[in-house]
Amino acid sequence: MNRSRILLNKAAWAIFTILFVILLNFFLFRVLPGDPARAGVRDPRLKAEAVEALRVRFGLDKPIINCFDSLNPIQIGDCGVNPLDTQFFIYVRNLLQGELGFSYHTNRPVAEVLAERLWNTVLLIGVGQILAIVLGMGFGIFAAWRARTSIDYVAVGTSLLLWSLPTFWLGILLLFWGSANGLPIAGKATPGMSSMPLLQQWGDIARHMFLPTLTYTIVFMGEYTLIMRSSLIDVLSEDYILTAKAKGLSAFQILKDHALKNAMLPLVTVIAINLGFTVAGAIQIESVFSWPGLGSAIFEAVVRRDYPILQGAFLLIAVAVILANFLADLTYSYLDPRVQAE
Amino acid sequence: MQTTVQPTIALPQSESRFSTFLKAFRKSRTGVVGFWMIVVVVIIAIFAPLIAPYEQRASASTIESIYQPPSAQHWFGTDDAGQDVFSNFVYGARVSLIVGIFAALIAVLIGGSFGLIAGFFGGRLESSLMRFTDIMLVIPDLPLIVVIVALTKPSLFNIIFVIGLLGWTTTARVVRSQTLAVKSRKFVLRARAIGAGKAHIIVRHILPLVMPILVVQAVLVISLAILNESALSFIGLGDPTTLSWGQMLNFAFGRGATSTGAWWALFFPGFGIVWLVLGLTLFGQGLEQVLNPRLDTHHLMAGKPSLSKDALIKPLYPNTLVEVQNLSIHYVNEGKPPAKAVEDVSFTLKEGELLGLVGESGCGKTTLMLSLLRLLPSAGQIVNGKVFYKGKDLTALSEEELNDIRWRGISIVFQGAMNALNPVRTVGDQIAEAVVKHEPKFPKDKIPARVNQLLELVGIVDDQREHFPHQYSGGMRQRAMIAMALACNPDVIIADEPTTALDVMIQAQILELLDDLRKKLGLAVVFVTHDLGIVAELCDKVLVMYGGVTAEYADVDTIYNNPKHPYTQELLKAFPDLTKPKKKLSSIPGYPPRLDALPAGCRFAPRCPAAFDRCHTEQPALHSIGDNHIASCHLVEASK
Repeated sequence: MNRSRILLNKAAWAIFTILFVILLNFFLFRVLPGDPARAGVRDPRLKAEAVEALRVRFGLDKPIINCFDSLNPIQIGDCGVNPLDTQFFIYVRNLLQGELGFSYHTNRPVAEVLAERLWNTVLLIGVGQILAIVLGMGFGIFAAWRARTSIDYVAVGTSLLLWSLPTFWLGILLLFWGSANGLPIAGKATPGMSSMPLLQQWGDIARHMFLPTLTYTIVFMGEYTLIMRSSLIDVLSEDYILTAKAKGLSAFQILKDHALKNAMLPLVTVIAINLGFTVAGAIQIESVFSWPGLGSAIFEAVVRRDYPILQGAFLLIAVAVILANFLADLTYSYLDPRVQAE
Repeated sequence: MQTTVQPTIALPQSESRFSTFLKAFRKSRTGVVGFWMIVVVVIIAIFAPLIAPYEQRASASTIESIYQPPSAQHWFGTDDAGQDVFSNFVYGARVSLIVGIFAALIAVLIGGSFGLIAGFFGGRLESSLMRFTDIMLVIPDLPLIVVIVALTKPSLFNIIFVIGLLGWTTTARVVRSQTLAVKSRKFVLRARAIGAGKAHIIVRHILPLVMPILVVQAVLVISLAILNESALSFIGLGDPTTLSWGQMLNFAFGRGATSTGAWWALFFPGFGIVWLVLGLTLFGQGLEQVLNPRLDTHHLMAGKPSLSKDALIKPLYPNTLVEVQNLSIHYVNEGKPPAKAVEDVSFTLKEGELLGLVGESGCGKTTLMLSLLRLLPSAGQIVNGKVFYKGKDLTALSEEELNDIRWRGISIVFQGAMNALNPVRTVGDQIAEAVVKHEPKFPKDKIPARVNQLLELVGIVDDQREHFPHQYSGGMRQRAMIAMALACNPDVIIADEPTTALDVMIQAQILELLDDLRKKLGLAVVFVTHDLGIVAELCDKVLVMYGGVTAEYADVDTIYNNPKHPYTQELLKAFPDLTKPKKKLSSIPGYPPRLDALPAGCRFAPRCPAAFDRCHTEQPALHSIGDNHIASCHLVEASK
């Protein structure tokens, strides 16, 4: 297989996975009992007209797919249903147009609400992730280089401890510490800031970002340290490192020119696989610090039983993680010349 | 390449599998610490009613008792409802353990069966199962759990079920690869051959071997489940009727513990989670270390300092390039007897000379060669003797001083060039690197031409400088390695079995090439091999090593026509001689001794056809036989 075929294959899988998520998302919200719209339809206290109005309002009067009315697969075959006039088709058509329904709570379009919040999460995760990777790699390299010394043991022990921290709990502890030290502990900006000069607004956002980002960095740093360490130790025990040493290269030159690139290859994969956990971390951190991102949107949607928001946020997050995984695959094949092999 | 001599210790058969496991596990400090951390939580959970001073969720009647700081009555203070945090903490241990264990049980059951089935049956079934696993692996866990729990009732049962149902992916992957590895083992194949049923083979033969990995995975999944449950509770999707540690945090955080400064209501439940998860993680690491021991050693670790400090020792043969004097090297591992890899070996190397270093695998040849440039693994230590290069004591130089001699004075052609070349850098780049390092004044723009010239010298034409090692054939890689060794015009090249793993034609070409270069460039070469035939054609002198000591050292004619050591004689018998037809070839029965458990007398005595009583009790000294001919054998002494 050449590189472009591998990429095509990966792209096909990413698309397939996204389709699977769309299906999952559609059916979960129709099979499981919680949705108040559907619960309302079954409410015996409502009059028939009111039920009918609700059904039409939420599109529940249409068959789910083809003849699978209410997921009852008894009447299979040609039953006079227009497949273009089914709940599933309408759902997919709306998705393609970027419509994700309306929030129960604010009645605003879900896509609009999520779009506002997406960038805050990207900002938080982006900065946190970069810091966690850079610091984790730094500690990991140092620990690997000094393997089996007390420095190494301290680094590994600390990393295991950081890995064991519940993200939200660390957030709470830092919130305690931050509020004692006069740091902003909630939201993204001080109210009334929008009238200030741009530079001051950014400074304000940066101050608000400090605690959430710190939490994020600490929680994810430990794992990157451990992975970088073990990956680098594996590489440093390879024969070609001995060759480099025999060539008279210094330890620094060997690390820089022979070990790091090779050791970072597995890290790329791990970062991609970790993106799922990253999102889990973001949900908790944003909930603790009321950071207006996708994570706190999920938190608020759960509290308010705002299912369209929940459904949309889950879809958006899942698709983002799948695409990021695909990107990681691209990066990997770019970094590793062996992938190009016929 | 055999750079490490790590003697494996055979476990006595009489001990049961479990007790050997226990023995190995006790050595892992992290594992033992983790185990006791878990035990503490388990005890608290089991004896909760005895430990907790108050009833579970027993509210106090007065408003004053809300958010009371820790005191003698309330060790961990009170919470938002005036309840005793310590009592709730103790009962919370139960919930966390139950969630963790049952969710892990579900996850491991699903993941284990998926992995076993995929690995065992293979084919379409495997690829579709693993594709499904990959898809589930990509979909973020916690958001999906949140969605499902939000849509169903947040009862403890549902939470356990959903966390378990979504936590199986890694287990499936790990178990599949282990099953694949186990499937082709002899006894499994035997069971299949005699027609045992598939279910029988899976349950009786494969499952026991996969079990340890399942246990490690289970420990991991328990900790993940506990973290997930606490996050879920914190978001507000916990079971409202049970008070897990996560739920305690949710209530305290949601009801003003931060604003009232009631740190105790927030600190202790979180501490419980950290304690348990950390314990599980450490325990899992310990198990992993037993199943899959990692030495965590590498080539950049500081080696052990040379014990041979005597600065008064001077070279005996000043006109030689390299002189090795009474060199002894031990591998020192904590709590084990040292492995005496090389003992009291001496030799010299003159300009243009080709020395053959001969012996079976595991006789200390590679160790000896690596020690010349102090490239030993970190456990290796020079305990005695000196290495002189042009009169400089290499055992006493600093790393920086030695780096100037490495490659420029003495370079090495490693065996198995596939691994000796960096896979992610082009061959030309790796050759150029040596030039840049040792000849900083070499004009940069002429380096590509120099690399091409070196590659042409070893017969690699057509400008393949920009290719990566995997694009070369095995023979070409070995040639490229030689080109690299020549890059800085060294005085000495050490060729460590450069032709093993290559076919005979290419072996011959490479040997010819080395000999050619020696004549053309005046190199001195040490040729390490277990093949006496090669030595006969090329070498001037031969050093035969056995079990870390010099067996015999002489010029090549003497070794062939007048070998004195029985080991040399036996090696020659194993080598076909075209001039004497119809001679039977014989190999030496047995193996070289383990270097950490050497025989008391002569190291070759157990395999020696001429051994007598003395050989088994007394080590023979090196005896000089004639001019430049020495051998370590009691027979030699007797015949003098």
